[in-house]
Amino acid sequence: MANSASLIVENLNKRFGGVVATDNVSFALDPGSIQCIIGPNGAGKSTFFSLLVGIQKPDSGRIVFNDIDITRMLPAARVKQGLGLTFQTNRVFHDLSVRQNLEIAKAAGADNGNRVKDDRYLLALERFGLDAGDHTPARNLPHHQRQWLEIVMVLACGPDLMLLDEPTAGMSPQETGNTARVLRELNQTGLTLVVVEHDMAFVRDIAQRVTVLHQGRIFADGPLDEVTRRQDVRDIYLGRK
Amino acid sequence: MERILRLLNGSEDIGRGLPYWAIFAAVLALFIAVPLYLSEFAAYNVSFYLLNIPMALGLCILWGYCGTLSFGQVAYFGVAGYAYGIIAGNLINHPLGTLIGSIGGIIAAMVLAGIFGYFVFFARVQTWIVPILTLVLTLLLETFLGQTAGYQWRVGTVQLGGYNGMTGIPSFQLGSYVFSGYAFFYFVLAIVTVSYLLCRALVNSSFGKVLLAIREDALRTETLGYDIRVRQWIAFVLAAALAGLSGLLYVQWGNYITPSQVGLLAAALPVIWVAVGGREKLLAAVIGTYALNWINYKLSSSGNQYALVITGTLLVAVMLFFPRGLVVSLLDLFARIPAKRRAHGE
Amino acid sequence: MDLVGLIASIFYQLGTNAAFLLLCALGLIVILGMMNIINLAHGELMMMGAYVASFVYQYGVPFWLAAIISFFAVGVFGALLELTIIKRFYGRELGALVVTWGISLILSQGFLLLFGPFMPPIQIPGGSFALGQYSFSLYWIAMFIVAMLLIVALWWLYNRTEIGLQARATMQNATMARALGVDTNRIYTLTFSLGAALAGLSGALLAPTTSIMPFMGQQFVAPAFITVVVGGATNVIAGALGSSALLSLVKTPIGFYFGAFLGTVALLLAALIFIRLLPDGISAAIQRRLDLRHRMR
Repeated sequence: MANSASLIVENLNKRFGGVVATDNVSFALDPGSIQCIIGPNGAGKSTFFSLLVGIQKPDSGRIVFNDIDITRMLPAARVKQGLGLTFQTNRVFHDLSVRQNLEIAKAAGADNGNRVKDDRYLLALERFGLDAGDHTPARNLPHHQRQWLEIVMVLACGPDLMLLDEPTAGMSPQETGNTARVLRELNQTGLTLVVVEHDMAFVRDIAQRVTVLHQGRIFADGPLDEVTRRQDVRDIYLGRK
Repeated sequence: MERILRLLNGSEDIGRGLPYWAIFAAVLALFIAVPLYLSEFAAYNVSFYLLNIPMALGLCILWGYCGTLSFGQVAYFGVAGYAYGIIAGNLINHPLGTLIGSIGGIIAAMVLAGIFGYFVFFARVQTWIVPILTLVLTLLLETFLGQTAGYQWRVGTVQLGGYNGMTGIPSFQLGSYVFSGYAFFYFVLAIVTVSYLLCRALVNSSFGKVLLAIREDALRTETLGYDIRVRQWIAFVLAAALAGLSGLLYVQWGNYITPSQVGLLAAALPVIWVAVGGREKLLAAVIGTYALNWINYKLSSSGNQYALVITGTLLVAVMLFFPRGLVVSLLDLFARIPAKRRAHGE
Repeated sequence: MDLVGLIASIFYQLGTNAAFLLLCALGLIVILGMMNIINLAHGELMMMGAYVASFVYQYGVPFWLAAIISFFAVGVFGALLELTIIKRFYGRELGALVVTWGISLILSQGFLLLFGPFMPPIQIPGGSFALGQYSFSLYWIAMFIVAMLLIVALWWLYNRTEIGLQARATMQNATMARALGVDTNRIYTLTFSLGAALAGLSGALLAPTTSIMPFMGQQFVAPAFITVVVGGATNVIAGALGSSALLSLVKTPIGFYFGAFLGTVALLLAALIFIRLLPDGISAAIQRRLDLRHRMR
């Protein structure tokens, strides 16, 4: 059956030198949902993801994933617990072939053996039109297919919760629409998704809940229409705050 | 068995399939037939070119496939050689003394690498730190061994010998049969061939693929759930074992070892062989090692003092103009010709 | 009286050990901080400095002037190296390591072939004096002062000159600096040249303490590398100062009781432990403190 992931963040803080990237953030995920994180540039969205995955260590605070405190865990251990991340700058293995990329990703998730997770991987593979036996070097793929490849690779590891950092950056509207469709389908199988995005059409397409980050703090949180109707949210995007 | 055959025929090394194995068999046959056309002395020299190959294979896997450069592989070469000398020298009357010494030598190399590697890889340091610290380790080892001249520097009955080194190291023997001359040549050939095939299987295995991933993008590999530190550590210890194997064969070949085998000039050599041949492919490293050792012997035996200057210049030139290595670049060239013909022909 | 002598001797040893490490490592750190390249020919550049100094010293040039000549001579050579070879390896850290190693081979072997196994030695200038049973060498006290002056000069260069400002900008963000009109290629050449010049100067200054031969660079290379590993690349001056001070605190007592070799072994062990705690070096830790203080104002 579908595994629902729970994520609770308590009072997370991170500063780099004099810059506060994450300011006392507390956050609770709705298991099994699709949430979007939006906010102007420099709001701390990517830093938040790095803290969740363990690439950066927080100065203080707690992260609890599926009832396990993962605050002190290394990234590889968190991924083994069921977390997945696609990066803002596309991080497939550019010099390796599509086939090699997928082999390496599949071998990482080898000890999961879960039918639902395998099906998600195969579903995404098919919907994105990728061929697992393809010898083309990843760098020769068109940009949107590289983005899709990274999503499929992370799915191969069998996550319960997937974090996607600007997955549709640089995509055309059709490609963006396709991505939204596939993510919705994956979500229906029980995969929880948190997506950082700038593309409002995409956000509108998939988000069940929206969180607005501003200067490292949670500025607003709720259903999309409610949040985007707020004048103060519009103000921070226009730099008025 | 079938899995091993599949691994041997993978695509992570140069060549695969029938043409490759046919050439491989032919070259191997040439080596096997050596007593027919080479004197024992010449075979002795060829043994030297061959015995350096395992060390190069180890460095190739560590650097070319895993992306971690070690400048101090000779430290493990030396530790294994000295350890063998100590153990086999003390067990001189024991029928299996040299076998125990051989195993002891490789274990000694792996233990040193294991401890050192733990500090280096689990600290998650920047890329340039590993080459520097491995180099420092081997330099310190040289200094240490160099000052072991006195009589008090002995283990059991075996003297370490200071700068003059350890002499009278026993050749490999099983029972009363001593491996020397052509017998030793076949011994080295067999070990080197098996090492190469095992390394080839390794780089084609899933472990080998993860090493590639670590080289390409360590962060992405980690966030797929792989513990990269453990894998880098394993690759490091494996490379040390292979370097130790070369060290072992070396002392069984020459019956002596000196601290200069772990010094600065010696440390440069495996890096040069692998860089010039091509670090990304095992076979390129093998060819580079054999060829450069052969050239070096020809140069120094003819009294040419410029041998090391030439080698240094070759390294600089290759790094500037053929950064992927001569063998790899040449093969790339050949691969592009049929591709161009196809493009023009259609 | 002896207590004064003892305390003076302790500070003297700490100071001179730190000065030795600093002199060995300064040229290396300058280059590492700017281009993230470890120059493996560093030892040979020090050797060249010693050779130049020895050469002109034989013609009656006073030692201090010989050292300055070495500074400029090796600096020019460094600039040539950068323009012909090094500049092709920016962004390729491991490639730069390997190619500078090749250069070091060519230099050491080349000098052996050109000038033979030995150069005439340089006498240690200045005498010594004693405080009770402890003796102090004027030469080493001078070396300590020179090391401090070099740090001050570097600080002044990086923080009070136009070119230092451009250099710092290039270190932080080369693309941005270029976009603002900084000639980053010139900065790189000058930086490598400065690093080489400092190596040459150090080689000349340390020449009186050892025999001048083609492989003399080797004895300085291990301490230099260890100092650089502990220092890190984040802040050149903080790294150099912090690292040599810290390592001297390790080396002095151990070297005193157990001899020079074990002193260097202790340095390596200290470095291995240190990088577990601070993988980016002491300069990163100091830089974080500085950033925090600056923001708090």
